[in-house]
Amino acid sequence: MTRLIEVPTQFDDRSFDQFAAAYAQAADGGDERLLFDAHAAEWASPYGLVGLLAAGEAATRKGERPLLTAPANPDVVSYWARAGFFREAADLFEVHGKVPKAKVATESEVLLPVTPVRAAEDVHAVVSTIQQRASAILSSELGLDPKATMGFAMALSESCQNIVEHAGTGGWVAVQAYNWRRKLARRVVVIAVADAGVGFRHSLEPTQAKRFGERWGDAAALEAALIQGVSRFRDPGRGQGLAGIRRYLARWEGKVAIRSGTARIAIVPRWDDDVPLKEGLPAFPGSQVLLIIPEQVSEKAGGSSKQ
Amino acid sequence: MVHAVLQQAVAGFYTDLVTRPTGRAVRENIERDLPAGTIAVMDFTGVGCLDYSCADEIVAKLVRDKVKVLLLRGLTDAHREAIEPVLAGAGLAVLCERADGVLEGLGASEPAPALLDELIERRLAARIPGGSIRLTAA
Repeated sequence: MTRLIEVPTQFDDRSFDQFAAAYAQAADGGDERLLFDAHAAEWASPYGLVGLLAAGEAATRKGERPLLTAPANPDVVSYWARAGFFREAADLFEVHGKVPKAKVATESEVLLPVTPVRAAEDVHAVVSTIQQRASAILSSELGLDPKATMGFAMALSESCQNIVEHAGTGGWVAVQAYNWRRKLARRVVVIAVADAGVGFRHSLEPTQAKRFGERWGDAAALEAALIQGVSRFRDPGRGQGLAGIRRYLARWEGKVAIRSGTARIAIVPRWDDDVPLKEGLPAFPGSQVLLIIPEQVSEKAGGSSKQ
Repeated sequence: MVHAVLQQAVAGFYTDLVTRPTGRAVRENIERDLPAGTIAVMDFTGVGCLDYSCADEIVAKLVRDKVKVLLLRGLTDAHREAIEPVLAGAGLAVLCERADGVLEGLGASEPAPALLDELIERRLAARIPGGSIRLTAA
């Protein structure tokens, strides 16, 4: 017997809770093998792709290697291949369906294909790659000051380090630029980082749970990490990473959202209508981080232009 | 100087100062030849990306635990953006030498004047007409 987990047709941070609910329900079903069904998938954001890998890893840890039905649409499955998804999925899932042997990341939109992050060396490689690939796009297409591209690499580095330092396992990162019609009608760059590790609550529990008392839980742990800048380490200089990411995103009107366990916290810029904190979400292993940096425009009468 | 140490400290050939383990390795290499309470100069020329974790691991920890005055040179704006909040948050400061040779504080504002005074007292720096402070030729 297998238990089915449907991958949403439009798989991104908005539909992630639907996926997490299906995962939580299926994972509760004992030792039965899991089948992740993505045959109807029409689109997946980097967040969706790295989240799916995290679910695959968690499922693998629990028992038999899960099954994955690849998207039936040739364009979709080709994109997933170019984004580097199947290269990583091959180790986690028994993949069914026609998967093209596409070369990874040949187009300019994929600034960083799905890349595993397990150790500090991986973070070095990610930072090096992103600086080679992203600088031109960040300045010419997003209108960021060329100096801001280094800040982008810093934010990316700190996001990845959360996995190395806190997850207790490996994870994945992906970076992509695309036109975001849904919200902004602007270009955006999205950084997505996901792991199936211990999550923020477990990581911070030994040092923070007492302080929060009855309020302690996934939401309190996210609040402590992102808003208060606390770390599980007592070292006085810790907690710099997320604080630095917040500063960078505030400067470029970007968004950060972190989902861990049953909660999700976000620093919401004025162009978005997300809620700052959600609790009681379907449980999902590890942590999932989303950073969005929008194209910079100046508001002028009769239209907008890049700064 | 930092760039050279970085090349020794990490296995690959990287120019970026990112991650705590890298920062720790670089700092430990620097500390090996550095007597406590000394005045030290670190040159960041050739360093690419510096992240907050590495800035804390190298710069803040050297200032907190090892050196009396730390003078940084070869800093880019991006390096400053990583170092400044890390030091300010810890109430620490370093001196940095701008491209025009002028010395200025970086980090928390309170400790910086004492660092400049220390260099002047030791005749390593001098106030020039106009009020700015530069290293002396010696």
